[in-house]
Amino acid sequence: MKKKYAYITLAILIVAFLGYQSVYFKKLNVVKEAKKENFNFKAYADSIYYKGILKSKKNIYLNDLIALVQANPETAFKNHGNRLGIGNSAYFMIKSTGKILDIKDGIYTIADEKNGIVYIDTKYIFGNAIRDASGLVKLTDFKTNAEFNKVSESLNDIIRNEVLPEEIKKVKIGDSISFSGAIKLSKKQNLFKDIIITPSQIKLQ
Amino acid sequence: MKVKQFSLILLTLVFVFGCSSNDKSEKPKIAVVVSTLNNPWFVMLAESAAKNAEKLGYEAKIFDSQNNPAVESDNFENLISSGYDAILLNPTDSDGSISNVLKAKTAGIPVFCMDREINADDAATSQILSDNYSGCVSIGIEFVKELKEKGNYVEILGLVGDNNTWARSGGFHSVVDKFPNLKMVAQQSGNFDRNKAMEVLETIMQANPDIDAVFCGNDAMAMGAFQALQSAGKAYKVKIFGFDGAGDVIEKIREKKIVATGMQFPVVMAQTAAQYADEYFKGRRIFPQRVPVEVELVNAANIKDY
Repeated sequence: MKKKYAYITLAILIVAFLGYQSVYFKKLNVVKEAKKENFNFKAYADSIYYKGILKSKKNIYLNDLIALVQANPETAFKNHGNRLGIGNSAYFMIKSTGKILDIKDGIYTIADEKNGIVYIDTKYIFGNAIRDASGLVKLTDFKTNAEFNKVSESLNDIIRNEVLPEEIKKVKIGDSISFSGAIKLSKKQNLFKDIIITPSQIKLQ
Repeated sequence: MKVKQFSLILLTLVFVFGCSSNDKSEKPKIAVVVSTLNNPWFVMLAESAAKNAEKLGYEAKIFDSQNNPAVESDNFENLISSGYDAILLNPTDSDGSISNVLKAKTAGIPVFCMDREINADDAATSQILSDNYSGCVSIGIEFVKELKEKGNYVEILGLVGDNNTWARSGGFHSVVDKFPNLKMVAQQSGNFDRNKAMEVLETIMQANPDIDAVFCGNDAMAMGAFQALQSAGKAYKVKIFGFDGAGDVIEKIREKKIVATGMQFPVVMAQTAAQYADEYFKGRRIFPQRVPVEVELVNAANIKDY
């Protein structure tokens, strides 16, 4: 009889041990956080920036873009602009060259060789300008808008914190530079003064 | 006997097929299910959706979910059993509404979400959404510039279960949090409701009398914040920022009593959703899962355009 109880106790202990080893509990917020962090946005944005944006051959010269928008806005928006969904504006990835006339509060005033005065804003690198102008990230690649927007935040962080500080250290007022970046144009727009560029790269010439 | 049996079968067939052909000759019915009709912005969204559906030749009816996923669920059950053919939905909750959308999908009814996103990319046929994040990035930049990068501020959030609330807050903070001298002294939900926002701000100001700005997740709450600040005699000292592009806030921007808002386009979203339903009835089956609709910053510099 005692032997029987011993067997039952042993069986219960084995089942309890296996049960304990096979099931574990975690706080729901820890699981949710882990799920959120599963995708490495920084690594993804690094690859978009260094392998995509910097190597892209699609950047259009700013003067060519303005001439095209003035002559044939439909073609300009269709071939060079990127608008996700519905709206009057689109983002374009441009390149140009010019001389630095002034630097004030992160805004570089540039005498662009072919476009007059343009501004490079190194301070407010936020939002989806770079991501959308690049045309390299699709909305359908991400399950929610929140994830899609995180790509922009990582991309902006790379440019604002890693790339530009190194590049602007080397330039000063009077220097000639080449630059590339995103601009937003509206279909309703017919004036092309005071163009503000969200930079992706600034290089001393 | 055989003649009697044959007549009975014939009668049954006539009844069954007669009813079915009768059904098909009726106009397809479109249900517009809206989160609340207690806010003029959503009234406009719902009415525009219904009007556009009617313009396209369909019968349309508006259902109010009273900001309650349970009411929304009842609405879905009613309209599925009532034989609606498509649903234009403004969801109450980004997670809570998924099961309702899936119920409709199982019943073969396409659902087109308007303005509010649900956290699933395989439930709704398409989601037509304001680009809240980008709109609030622009507001965030305006906010930083207006406050000259320093000051204490309050954020009044919308409904905590709504994705738009967090998309707006996320866009705003993606900018403002990079400026360490801007300090958020309180962040509380005002449920997208004018009166609630007024009460919330009044309570916050008792503990934090020296604030420089308030960012509100929608214009109804911006108007509530304005009322609270006016009662406290601080309407001209504290800068208010909203989101929606509501008529009363546009007027306040013109009067320089509110600094800025993000102009959404509910009519465009409603029109697109109705258009998609029409295309679905005509055989189209592939739709983009999410269609962002641009939000425009409205401030003193461009108010003449609105």
